[in-house]
Amino acid sequence: MASRRVVSRLQGHVKPVLSLDSTEAHRRVLNLYRAWYRNIPVILNRFNLPIDEQMAKNKLREMFYRYRNVTDIRVIDILVIKGNMELTETVKGWKQECHVMAYFKDTHNPKPKDFISKFLSGHDAE
Amino acid sequence: MRILLKLIQTKDAFICSLTKRMFTRSTVRCSDQLFVHRENDPDTKTFEFTIENIKRAESIVSIYPEGFQAAAIIPLLDLAQRQQGWLPISAMNYVADYLKVPRMRVYEVATFYTMFNRQPMGKYHIQVCTTTPCMLRGAEEVYETVKKLCTDPKLFTVSSVECLGACVNAPMFAVNDDYYEDLTLDDVKEIINDLKAGRKPKPGPSKRSGRLCCEPKNGLTSLTTPPPGPGFKVRSDL
Amino acid sequence: MLRFVAASCKRTANNPSCVVWLKECRRHARTSGSKQQQTSAAQETKPKLLEVFIDEKKVLVEPGTTILEAAAMAGVEIPRFCYHERLSVAGNCRMCLVEVEKSIKPVASCAMPIMMNGMKVKTNSPMTKQAREGVMEFLLMNHPLDCPICDQGGECDLQDQSMAFGSDRSRLQVELDPKRAVEDKNIGPLVKTIMTRCIHCTRCVRFMNEIAGCEDLGTTGRGSDMQIGTYLENTALLSELSGNIVDLCPVGALTSKPYAFTARPWELRRVDSVDVLDAVGSNISVCTRSGDLMRILPRENDAVNEEWLADKSRHAPVDGLKAQRLTVPLLRPSKSSQLQMCDWEDALLAVGRALNGIQPSRMEAIVGPFVDAETMVVLKDLFNTIGSENVYLHVDSDLDKSCFPSSKDLDFQKNYLFNTSIAGLEDGVDLLLLIGTNIRFEAPLVNARIRKAWRNNLINDIAVIGENGLDLLYDYEYLGDSTKVLADIVAGKHKIVDRLKKAQKAVVILGQQILKKDSDSNAYEMVRALCDKYGAEFNLLHANASTVAAFDLGLKPSSERKTDNSDEQSLLWLIGVDDENLTIPNNSFVIYQGHTGDICANTADVILPGSAFTEKQGTMISMEGRVQQTLAAITPPNMAREDWKIVRACSELANYPLPYDTLLEVRERMQQLAPHLTRHSNRKLEKPSLRPPPISSVSAQSPVSLLPRMKSLVDYWQTDAISRCSPTMSKCVLSTKKEFDKRGIKY
Repeated sequence: MASRRVVSRLQGHVKPVLSLDSTEAHRRVLNLYRAWYRNIPVILNRFNLPIDEQMAKNKLREMFYRYRNVTDIRVIDILVIKGNMELTETVKGWKQECHVMAYFKDTHNPKPKDFISKFLSGHDAE
Repeated sequence: MRILLKLIQTKDAFICSLTKRMFTRSTVRCSDQLFVHRENDPDTKTFEFTIENIKRAESIVSIYPEGFQAAAIIPLLDLAQRQQGWLPISAMNYVADYLKVPRMRVYEVATFYTMFNRQPMGKYHIQVCTTTPCMLRGAEEVYETVKKLCTDPKLFTVSSVECLGACVNAPMFAVNDDYYEDLTLDDVKEIINDLKAGRKPKPGPSKRSGRLCCEPKNGLTSLTTPPPGPGFKVRSDL
Repeated sequence: MLRFVAASCKRTANNPSCVVWLKECRRHARTSGSKQQQTSAAQETKPKLLEVFIDEKKVLVEPGTTILEAAAMAGVEIPRFCYHERLSVAGNCRMCLVEVEKSIKPVASCAMPIMMNGMKVKTNSPMTKQAREGVMEFLLMNHPLDCPICDQGGECDLQDQSMAFGSDRSRLQVELDPKRAVEDKNIGPLVKTIMTRCIHCTRCVRFMNEIAGCEDLGTTGRGSDMQIGTYLENTALLSELSGNIVDLCPVGALTSKPYAFTARPWELRRVDSVDVLDAVGSNISVCTRSGDLMRILPRENDAVNEEWLADKSRHAPVDGLKAQRLTVPLLRPSKSSQLQMCDWEDALLAVGRALNGIQPSRMEAIVGPFVDAETMVVLKDLFNTIGSENVYLHVDSDLDKSCFPSSKDLDFQKNYLFNTSIAGLEDGVDLLLLIGTNIRFEAPLVNARIRKAWRNNLINDIAVIGENGLDLLYDYEYLGDSTKVLADIVAGKHKIVDRLKKAQKAVVILGQQILKKDSDSNAYEMVRALCDKYGAEFNLLHANASTVAAFDLGLKPSSERKTDNSDEQSLLWLIGVDDENLTIPNNSFVIYQGHTGDICANTADVILPGSAFTEKQGTMISMEGRVQQTLAAITPPNMAREDWKIVRACSELANYPLPYDTLLEVRERMQQLAPHLTRHSNRKLEKPSLRPPPISSVSAQSPVSLLPRMKSLVDYWQTDAISRCSPTMSKCVLSTKKEFDKRGIKY
């Protein structure tokens, strides 16, 4: 990845999305985080959610930490744009409760694959 | 306001029309016969041909070719009806078993023909013809009189029937197998009184009509000359 | 024009069923007459084909073909109500009127044979159209307008044809000329009648008289007072085929009583399947609505069931599979306690423990009457892997085991199939010998086939050894009830021997439901010897759908079980086995797997809920060796699973995992065991070619009578787990008993 970026930078093909360097990207991420953080009371106020502020903050942290390994500035930018869109949709009430609660959904259970677990779960139609 | 008033009015009218609405009902069409045998319909306990009738039945059945004995259903049912006076279900069953055909086949035949009487009948079955020629000669009065006179259901069963084929001697009725013809109301009374008294009046045209058979009442109107002999209107050279 | 229609209606509508018995009479006349005529007719050269023009399309037909059949050949559909291919021609509905050139009047095409070359038929001319409209108007004149509450709605010939061929207006003035109303008849618990809707096509009358052989239905009265009925009030039809008149009825006059007001045809999903309540393998459509079994209809298959279906197959599964179902696994924690609900895991673990802990020689598995071939394959594989050979096919304990083939006979398919095949019964059979069977109730549709052949003079010589006085719906000669008759025939001492020798094609049918007697007979061997000696075709009439598949897969009949009195722990695995007098070894761990908790489920230590034939895809093999499959129409209830999967899951928990996970893989395995089992074909029948070595001598034994288990119609209705749970079948038993009492017939 890195080598490709170097090469492409040398060739002058890279077109930045928003940020020109990692510092700027970092700033954008922090701004997004702050915006979400400040809006948590607003969101909880707007929706009738079965969660308290602390749970929401933990979830916010978790969502941001999910992408902590991303280093590509352009990818970070896209993620920031997406995060902003999510925030707008949430705060302006374009989302509904179920959509907000989707952040808190359980981790995905894979469908049973082998015979016996299919048999026990009842998902045994072929 | 006016619209509202109008609405109320129409609503009232609607309700009125509902309450006054007539239900159209078609006329009832009844059959004079019932083609179902009820469980508690009259029936004789058992039915069997008498010895003479068994002989008759055997000779009737022997007419038909081997394998076609079922064709004897009608004559045997008639025989049974003559023996019993009417045709109870036990007689139909007997005939079916006698001919070894399914019972339903016999029921079908017996219900198809109106001359098989599936209800108990009086001793005399008086069938008054009410078809056009008889009607023109006063069959309706005859029918009314017969009905009035014959009140005992054990002795008489009266029915109005279509043409019995004695139009020349209209009006007429049949008592069982005998035709009584050229009837006037007095004849009717006489015949029925005779029947009530247990006598058998002479069948055929009534005495009052002066006829022997179906000849014209006032003498012959055709064929009045003696019949020509052989050679009539034949060429002389033949 | 209309006057003509009216006149023709009057002429023919009166008593069509007379035709029925006349035909019967003629049949008798012909059989009793000399045979010379028949032979001379056979020697005649094939007649020349005649040209007919149907709407200017040329068709070549044999002389005597009706116009309607010729039109069908030309691809022109002529509307009809009374005409039915499998019934005699009545010609009384007049719906099939067509114009024929040079004929002044329209002609009833169903009854008009083509005898003349160059006949020109116009099925689309103004005259034909007007005739159809006229007939339709007359039919609708007395037909009630109750389509919205009529069960036939949506599959009604009258609706469809009045849309297609009727006029859009009627001249009926109901105030002046009222509609006819007819009282409803009570003809038993299966057929509901709304006689006002009847259009007097007499299809039902002809079916009951000709095919079902129950001559209680007919027409009474005449003209517009004509009624279809039994004349006597409240006469239940004593027939095992009466459900078919519901299918035949072109209007809603005869509808199914158990199905009344439950569903509409357009809401139903049809799934093609195969019947398992007898071994005939009738083709059926299972109709379901949102996962609920609504009704079962026959599917046309000329080789098996034509288009009929026996009443038990039609009505028993519909409500029988909704009662007494096993829906959750049950486990008995200790010998003295009750069965308790549990998870699949617990049940499978219990089975797995038992399979591991018990000596293989003390393990037995028995499969019952409804089990599919896949389950048997998996079960056999599991037992063989564990090291046990004791996989059996259940044979009822009250049956004589000597009429069954023994395991040494199972090497040849010919030894246990219905070799003549069902359609083959119509193919030049000179002599039919029925031994120890009440074929009318063991296989109603095979019996209907024999009756058909008998009516058409294709079988004229039928003899019966077994129960005396059976009402089989055709004439037969009664030879006696004991094996002594068989021994006499084999020894050549019986009077039938001459006919057997003379017959080109003699067919012998041995029943499989012969009641056990004190001493054993050797009926099976004797019948085999008889067939070998006289060159007759040997047939077994199986009563259970699973039998042939089990024999194909090498399962032994359970009469060969060896039970001893040792108290060592044993295991008995029952799949759908219901038998009151089943021998259960001492100290036995009983596993019951099946869909209905009927008789044996109570004795079980573990109950594994399986699925019924409507809920699974499984291979069934009919008694003639036809490989067919049932398809899943609905899902198994609650926690029930497909049978082969249950066995497969048990194998995994017992640490003997079997190498297949899907149905396809099971079928691959099945193909290794018996290649023909995967060649599904409803139409084609592969006949076994290998001939078993002939049996020449049979040891003499004391004579035993060969009496079938089912004697009268009362015994027919409830014979297995499904039909015993069916309320409709209970009603049938009651009404049949009542009717027998009324007629003074003993049962």
